[in-house]
Amino acid sequence: MDLLPLFDWLDTSWLADLAKANGGVFAVVQMFHLLALVVLGGMVLVLDLRLVGAVFPEVPLREMLGYTRKWFDGALVASLVSGVFMSSAVAMKLYYNEMFWAKMTGLLVGALFVYIVERPLLRQSGDDLRPATRRLLGASSMVIWFTVAASGRWIGFS
Amino acid sequence: MLNEWLLALAEYFAAQQWSIALHESIYLYAWVETTHVLTLVLFLGMLAIIDLRMLGWAFTGLSATSMAERLNRPMLVGFAVMVVTGFTLYYAIPIRTTQSIWFRIKVVLLIAAGINAWLFHRALRNAGATWNDRTQAPQRLRAGAGVSLLVWSGVVFTGRAIAYDWFDCHKPLSGWMFWAAGCVQELAASETASH
Repeated sequence: MDLLPLFDWLDTSWLADLAKANGGVFAVVQMFHLLALVVLGGMVLVLDLRLVGAVFPEVPLREMLGYTRKWFDGALVASLVSGVFMSSAVAMKLYYNEMFWAKMTGLLVGALFVYIVERPLLRQSGDDLRPATRRLLGASSMVIWFTVAASGRWIGFS
Repeated sequence: MLNEWLLALAEYFAAQQWSIALHESIYLYAWVETTHVLTLVLFLGMLAIIDLRMLGWAFTGLSATSMAERLNRPMLVGFAVMVVTGFTLYYAIPIRTTQSIWFRIKVVLLIAAGINAWLFHRALRNAGATWNDRTQAPQRLRAGAGVSLLVWSGVVFTGRAIAYDWFDCHKPLSGWMFWAAGCVQELAASETASH
Protein backbone atom coordinates (compact mmCIF):
# COMPACT_ATOMS: atom_id res chain seq x y z
CA MET A 1 0.00 0.00 0.00
CA ASP A 2 1.55 3.27 -1.13
CA LEU A 3 0.97 6.05 1.37
CA LEU A 4 2.31 8.79 -0.92
CA PRO A 5 -1.18 10.35 -1.52
CA LEU A 6 -1.65 10.63 2.25
CA PHE A 7 1.68 12.42 2.68
CA ASP A 8 0.96 14.56 -0.37
CA TRP A 9 -2.37 15.59 1.18
CA LEU A 10 -0.72 16.25 4.56
CA ASP A 11 1.95 18.38 2.89
CA THR A 12 -0.67 20.76 1.49
CA SER A 13 -3.10 20.68 4.42
CA TRP A 14 -3.91 23.66 6.68
CA LEU A 15 -1.95 21.88 9.41
CA ALA A 16 1.17 22.01 7.22
CA ASP A 17 0.53 25.73 6.47
CA LEU A 18 0.34 26.42 10.20
CA ALA A 19 3.47 24.39 11.01
CA LYS A 20 5.54 25.81 8.13
CA ALA A 21 4.55 29.45 8.66
CA ASN A 22 5.06 29.46 12.43
CA GLY A 23 8.48 28.19 13.47
CA GLY A 24 7.69 29.06 17.09
CA VAL A 25 4.50 26.96 17.14
CA PHE A 26 6.40 24.05 15.58
CA ALA A 27 9.14 24.32 18.22
CA VAL A 28 6.65 24.44 21.12
CA VAL A 29 4.76 21.40 19.77
CA GLN A 30 8.12 19.62 19.38
CA MET A 31 8.89 20.31 23.05
CA PHE A 32 5.51 18.92 24.13
CA HIS A 33 6.27 15.89 21.94
CA LEU A 34 9.47 15.39 23.97
CA LEU A 35 7.62 15.74 27.29
CA ALA A 36 5.04 13.19 26.13
CA LEU A 37 7.92 10.84 25.27
CA VAL A 38 9.38 11.31 28.75
CA VAL A 39 6.07 10.25 30.36
CA LEU A 40 5.61 7.40 27.87
CA GLY A 41 9.20 6.20 28.39
CA GLY A 42 8.88 6.46 32.17
CA MET A 43 5.69 4.39 32.27
CA VAL A 44 7.08 1.77 29.87
CA LEU A 45 10.31 1.50 31.87
CA VAL A 46 8.76 1.22 35.30
CA LEU A 47 6.45 -1.60 34.13
CA ASP A 48 9.31 -3.30 32.26
CA LEU A 49 11.63 -3.03 35.26
CA ARG A 50 8.88 -4.66 37.34
CA LEU A 51 8.51 -7.41 34.71
CA VAL A 52 12.22 -8.24 34.72
CA GLY A 53 12.14 -8.17 38.53
CA ALA A 54 14.37 -5.13 39.06
CA VAL A 55 11.88 -3.01 41.03
CA PHE A 56 8.75 -3.56 43.19
CA PRO A 57 8.79 -7.38 43.14
CA GLU A 58 6.11 -7.40 45.87
CA VAL A 59 3.62 -5.30 43.85
CA PRO A 60 1.18 -7.51 41.87
CA LEU A 61 1.64 -7.19 38.10
CA ARG A 62 -2.03 -6.37 37.51
CA GLU A 63 -1.78 -3.54 40.04
CA MET A 64 1.35 -2.20 38.36
CA LEU A 65 -0.37 -2.31 34.98
CA GLY A 66 -3.29 -0.41 36.50
CA TYR A 67 -0.96 2.39 37.66
CA THR A 68 0.80 2.85 34.32
CA ARG A 69 -2.01 2.12 31.84
CA LYS A 70 -3.78 5.49 31.70
CA TRP A 71 -0.56 7.51 31.75
CA PHE A 72 0.84 5.42 28.90
CA ASP A 73 -2.37 5.81 26.85
CA GLY A 74 -2.46 9.58 27.44
CA ALA A 75 1.22 10.02 26.58
CA LEU A 76 0.84 7.88 23.44
CA VAL A 77 -2.11 10.00 22.23
CA ALA A 78 -0.21 13.24 23.02
CA SER A 79 2.89 12.05 21.18
CA LEU A 80 0.80 10.91 18.18
CA VAL A 81 -1.11 14.21 17.92
CA SER A 82 2.07 16.32 18.28
CA GLY A 83 3.89 13.92 15.94
CA VAL A 84 1.29 14.31 13.16
CA PHE A 85 1.57 18.11 13.48
CA MET A 86 5.38 17.97 13.27
CA SER A 87 5.23 15.56 10.34
CA SER A 88 2.96 17.89 8.40
CA ALA A 89 5.76 20.50 8.22
CA VAL A 90 8.12 18.07 6.45
CA ALA A 91 5.69 15.46 5.12
CA MET A 92 7.37 14.79 1.76
CA LYS A 93 10.85 14.73 3.27
CA LEU A 94 9.68 12.16 5.82
CA TYR A 95 8.02 10.01 3.18
CA TYR A 96 11.43 9.47 1.58
CA ASN A 97 13.28 9.08 4.91
CA GLU A 98 14.11 5.45 5.80
CA MET A 99 14.60 6.22 9.48
CA PHE A 100 11.09 7.68 9.68
CA TRP A 101 9.68 4.40 8.41
CA ALA A 102 11.88 2.48 10.86
CA LYS A 103 10.37 4.54 13.66
CA MET A 104 6.80 4.11 12.38
CA THR A 105 7.31 0.35 12.08
CA GLY A 106 8.74 0.27 15.60
CA LEU A 107 5.83 2.34 16.88
CA LEU A 108 3.28 0.03 15.26
CA VAL A 109 5.06 -3.04 16.67
CA GLY A 110 5.24 -1.34 20.09
CA ALA A 111 1.53 -0.47 20.13
CA LEU A 112 0.52 -3.95 18.96
CA PHE A 113 2.83 -5.47 21.56
CA VAL A 114 1.29 -3.41 24.37
CA TYR A 115 -2.37 -3.79 23.38
CA ILE A 116 -2.40 -7.32 21.91
CA VAL A 117 0.34 -9.16 23.80
CA GLU A 118 1.41 -7.50 27.04
CA ARG A 119 -1.84 -6.20 28.51
CA PRO A 120 -4.01 -9.25 27.72
CA LEU A 121 -1.28 -11.52 29.12
CA LEU A 122 -0.95 -9.50 32.31
CA ARG A 123 -4.73 -9.23 32.74
CA GLN A 124 -5.23 -12.92 32.16
CA SER A 125 -2.29 -14.41 34.03
CA GLY A 126 -0.85 -11.62 36.16
CA ASP A 127 1.59 -13.05 38.67
CA ASP A 128 0.90 -16.61 37.49
CA LEU A 129 3.14 -15.93 34.48
CA ARG A 130 6.27 -18.07 34.43
CA PRO A 131 9.31 -15.98 35.50
CA ALA A 132 11.02 -16.59 32.15
CA THR A 133 7.94 -15.37 30.23
CA ARG A 134 7.64 -12.35 32.52
CA ARG A 135 11.28 -11.40 31.99
CA LEU A 136 11.06 -11.97 28.25
CA LEU A 137 8.00 -9.71 28.12
CA GLY A 138 9.82 -6.88 29.94
CA ALA A 139 13.03 -7.24 27.94
CA SER A 140 11.16 -7.35 24.59
CA SER A 141 9.23 -4.23 25.50
CA MET A 142 12.44 -2.37 26.40
CA VAL A 143 14.10 -3.36 23.11
CA ILE A 144 11.06 -2.33 21.04
CA TRP A 145 10.61 1.08 22.68
CA PHE A 146 14.36 1.73 22.65
CA THR A 147 14.27 1.15 18.87
CA VAL A 148 11.36 3.58 18.50
CA ALA A 149 13.12 6.31 20.51
CA ALA A 150 16.55 5.87 18.91
CA SER A 151 15.25 5.71 15.32
CA GLY A 152 13.02 8.71 16.08
CA ARG A 153 16.00 10.80 17.16
CA TRP A 154 17.98 9.58 14.17
CA ILE A 155 15.40 11.05 11.72
CA GLY A 156 17.01 14.42 12.39
CA PHE A 157 20.45 13.13 11.42
CA SER A 158 19.48 11.27 8.24
CA MET B 1 33.56 40.08 32.67
CA LEU B 2 31.87 36.68 33.11
CA ASN B 3 30.88 36.69 29.44
CA GLU B 4 34.51 37.23 28.42
CA TRP B 5 35.69 34.38 30.66
CA LEU B 6 33.05 31.97 29.37
CA LEU B 7 33.90 32.86 25.78
CA ALA B 8 37.64 32.42 26.43
CA LEU B 9 36.94 28.97 27.91
CA ALA B 10 34.76 28.07 24.91
CA GLU B 11 37.48 29.23 22.50
CA TYR B 12 40.04 27.14 24.40
CA PHE B 13 37.84 24.04 24.02
CA ALA B 14 36.99 24.85 20.39
CA ALA B 15 40.68 24.87 19.43
CA GLN B 16 41.21 21.35 20.77
CA GLN B 17 41.53 18.53 18.29
CA TRP B 18 38.99 16.31 20.05
CA SER B 19 36.37 19.04 19.99
CA ILE B 20 36.87 19.58 16.25
CA ALA B 21 36.88 15.82 15.58
CA LEU B 22 33.65 15.35 17.53
CA HIS B 23 31.97 18.29 15.79
CA GLU B 24 33.01 17.10 12.35
CA SER B 25 32.36 13.39 12.93
CA ILE B 26 29.74 11.72 10.77
CA TYR B 27 28.20 9.48 13.42
CA LEU B 28 29.77 10.08 16.84
CA TYR B 29 28.08 13.43 17.54
CA ALA B 30 24.72 11.96 16.52
CA TRP B 31 25.29 8.96 18.81
CA VAL B 32 26.18 11.21 21.73
CA GLU B 33 23.09 13.33 21.19
CA THR B 34 20.86 10.27 20.81
CA THR B 35 22.29 8.83 24.05
CA HIS B 36 21.66 12.19 25.75
CA VAL B 37 17.98 12.17 24.72
CA LEU B 38 17.49 8.48 25.63
CA THR B 39 19.02 8.88 29.07
CA LEU B 40 16.95 12.03 29.52
CA VAL B 41 13.88 9.83 29.04
CA LEU B 42 15.26 7.38 31.63
CA PHE B 43 16.16 10.07 34.18
CA LEU B 44 13.12 12.32 33.70
CA GLY B 45 10.75 9.39 33.32
CA MET B 46 11.74 8.08 36.76
CA LEU B 47 11.75 11.57 38.27
CA ALA B 48 8.30 12.35 36.83
CA ILE B 49 6.91 9.14 38.35
CA ILE B 50 8.29 10.06 41.80
CA ASP B 51 6.94 13.62 41.51
CA LEU B 52 3.54 12.45 40.27
CA ARG B 53 3.33 10.04 43.23
CA MET B 54 4.20 12.85 45.66
CA LEU B 55 1.46 15.00 44.13
CA GLY B 56 -1.01 12.12 44.54
CA TRP B 57 -1.66 11.91 40.79
CA ALA B 58 -0.20 8.46 40.06
CA PHE B 59 0.80 5.19 41.78
CA THR B 60 -1.29 6.27 44.78
CA GLY B 61 -1.50 2.71 46.15
CA LEU B 62 2.27 2.45 46.58
CA SER B 63 4.36 3.86 49.41
CA ALA B 64 5.77 7.21 48.28
CA THR B 65 9.15 7.04 50.02
CA SER B 66 9.64 3.45 48.89
CA MET B 67 9.04 4.57 45.28
CA ALA B 68 11.53 7.41 45.67
CA GLU B 69 14.13 5.02 47.11
CA ARG B 70 13.72 2.27 44.55
CA LEU B 71 13.56 4.44 41.44
CA ASN B 72 16.53 6.44 42.68
CA ARG B 73 19.13 4.08 41.21
CA PRO B 74 17.85 3.93 37.59
CA MET B 75 17.22 7.68 37.84
CA LEU B 76 20.81 8.38 38.92
CA VAL B 77 22.22 6.09 36.21
CA GLY B 78 20.26 8.14 33.66
CA PHE B 79 21.41 11.38 35.27
CA ALA B 80 25.09 10.39 35.22
CA VAL B 81 25.07 9.45 31.53
CA MET B 82 23.00 12.54 30.74
CA VAL B 83 25.56 14.82 32.41
CA VAL B 84 28.54 13.19 30.65
CA THR B 85 26.86 13.28 27.20
CA GLY B 86 25.57 16.81 27.90
CA PHE B 87 29.09 18.07 28.60
CA THR B 88 30.35 16.23 25.49
CA LEU B 89 27.72 18.01 23.37
CA TYR B 90 28.86 21.36 24.81
CA TYR B 91 32.50 20.39 24.21
CA ALA B 92 31.77 19.58 20.54
CA ILE B 93 30.22 23.00 19.81
CA PRO B 94 31.47 25.19 22.68
CA ILE B 95 31.33 28.72 21.24
CA ARG B 96 27.83 28.64 19.78
CA THR B 97 26.53 26.84 22.88
CA THR B 98 28.14 29.36 25.24
CA GLN B 99 26.51 32.15 23.24
CA SER B 100 23.05 30.54 23.20
CA ILE B 101 20.51 32.31 25.39
CA TRP B 102 18.61 29.02 25.65
CA PHE B 103 21.67 27.16 26.94
CA ARG B 104 22.19 29.89 29.53
CA ILE B 105 18.57 29.69 30.72
CA LYS B 106 18.93 25.90 30.78
CA VAL B 107 21.99 26.11 33.05
CA VAL B 108 20.14 28.48 35.42
CA LEU B 109 17.18 26.06 35.47
CA LEU B 110 19.54 23.13 36.16
CA ILE B 111 20.96 25.01 39.16
CA ALA B 112 17.39 25.75 40.31
CA ALA B 113 16.51 22.05 39.89
CA GLY B 114 19.55 21.08 41.96
CA ILE B 115 18.60 23.45 44.80
CA ASN B 116 15.00 22.23 44.66
CA ALA B 117 16.16 18.59 44.82
CA TRP B 118 18.31 19.37 47.87
CA LEU B 119 15.40 21.13 49.64
CA PHE B 120 13.05 18.30 48.63
CA HIS B 121 15.30 15.60 50.11
CA ARG B 122 15.73 17.61 53.31
CA ALA B 123 11.94 17.96 53.60
CA LEU B 124 11.57 14.24 52.85
CA ARG B 125 13.92 13.35 55.73
CA ASN B 126 12.23 15.76 58.13
CA ALA B 127 8.72 14.58 57.25
CA GLY B 128 9.46 11.02 58.44
CA ALA B 129 7.25 8.19 57.24
CA THR B 130 3.96 8.91 59.02
CA TRP B 131 2.29 10.11 55.81
CA ASN B 132 3.89 7.43 53.62
CA ASP B 133 0.76 5.47 52.68
CA ARG B 134 -1.50 8.48 52.30
CA THR B 135 -2.47 9.46 48.76
CA GLN B 136 -0.84 12.88 48.97
CA ALA B 137 2.48 13.89 50.48
CA PRO B 138 2.72 16.82 52.95
CA GLN B 139 2.33 20.27 51.39
CA ARG B 140 6.06 21.10 51.33
CA LEU B 141 6.87 17.88 49.47
CA ARG B 142 3.99 18.43 47.05
CA ALA B 143 5.31 21.93 46.33
CA GLY B 144 8.81 20.53 45.76
CA ALA B 145 7.46 17.88 43.38
CA GLY B 146 5.43 20.48 41.46
CA VAL B 147 8.45 22.81 41.17
CA SER B 148 10.58 19.86 40.06
CA LEU B 149 8.16 18.96 37.23
CA LEU B 150 7.94 22.60 36.07
CA VAL B 151 11.68 23.29 36.23
CA TRP B 152 12.62 20.06 34.45
CA SER B 153 10.00 20.76 31.75
CA GLY B 154 11.76 24.11 31.35
CA VAL B 155 15.10 22.30 31.03
CA VAL B 156 13.64 20.12 28.24
CA PHE B 157 12.11 23.15 26.49
CA THR B 158 15.28 25.25 26.61
CA GLY B 159 17.49 22.27 25.77
CA ARG B 160 15.51 21.59 22.60
CA ALA B 161 15.46 25.32 21.74
CA ILE B 162 19.30 25.45 21.59
CA ALA B 163 18.97 23.94 18.10
CA TYR B 164 17.10 27.05 16.87
CA ASP B 165 19.04 30.14 15.79
CA TRP B 166 16.37 32.75 16.61
CA PHE B 167 18.63 34.59 19.09
CA ASP B 168 22.08 33.67 17.78
CA CYS B 169 24.77 36.38 17.83
CA HIS B 170 24.58 36.99 14.06
CA LYS B 171 20.95 38.08 14.42
CA PRO B 172 20.00 41.76 14.88
CA LEU B 173 19.45 41.65 18.65
CA SER B 174 19.12 44.41 21.25
CA GLY B 175 22.14 45.35 23.38
CA TRP B 176 20.56 43.64 26.37
CA MET B 177 20.08 40.41 24.43
CA PHE B 178 23.68 40.54 23.17
CA TRP B 179 24.78 40.81 26.80
CA ALA B 180 22.43 38.06 28.04
CA ALA B 181 23.51 35.67 25.26
CA GLY B 182 27.19 36.51 25.80
CA CYS B 183 27.75 37.94 22.30
CA VAL B 184 30.86 39.82 23.43
CA GLN B 185 32.06 41.16 20.06
CA GLU B 186 28.57 42.04 18.81
CA LEU B 187 27.80 43.89 22.05
CA ALA B 188 31.05 45.87 21.78
CA ALA B 189 30.28 46.70 18.14
CA SER B 190 26.74 47.85 18.95
CA GLU B 191 28.02 50.03 21.82
CA THR B 192 30.67 51.61 19.55
CA ALA B 193 28.03 52.29 16.90
CA SER B 194 25.69 53.95 19.41
CA HIS B 195 28.39 56.34 20.67
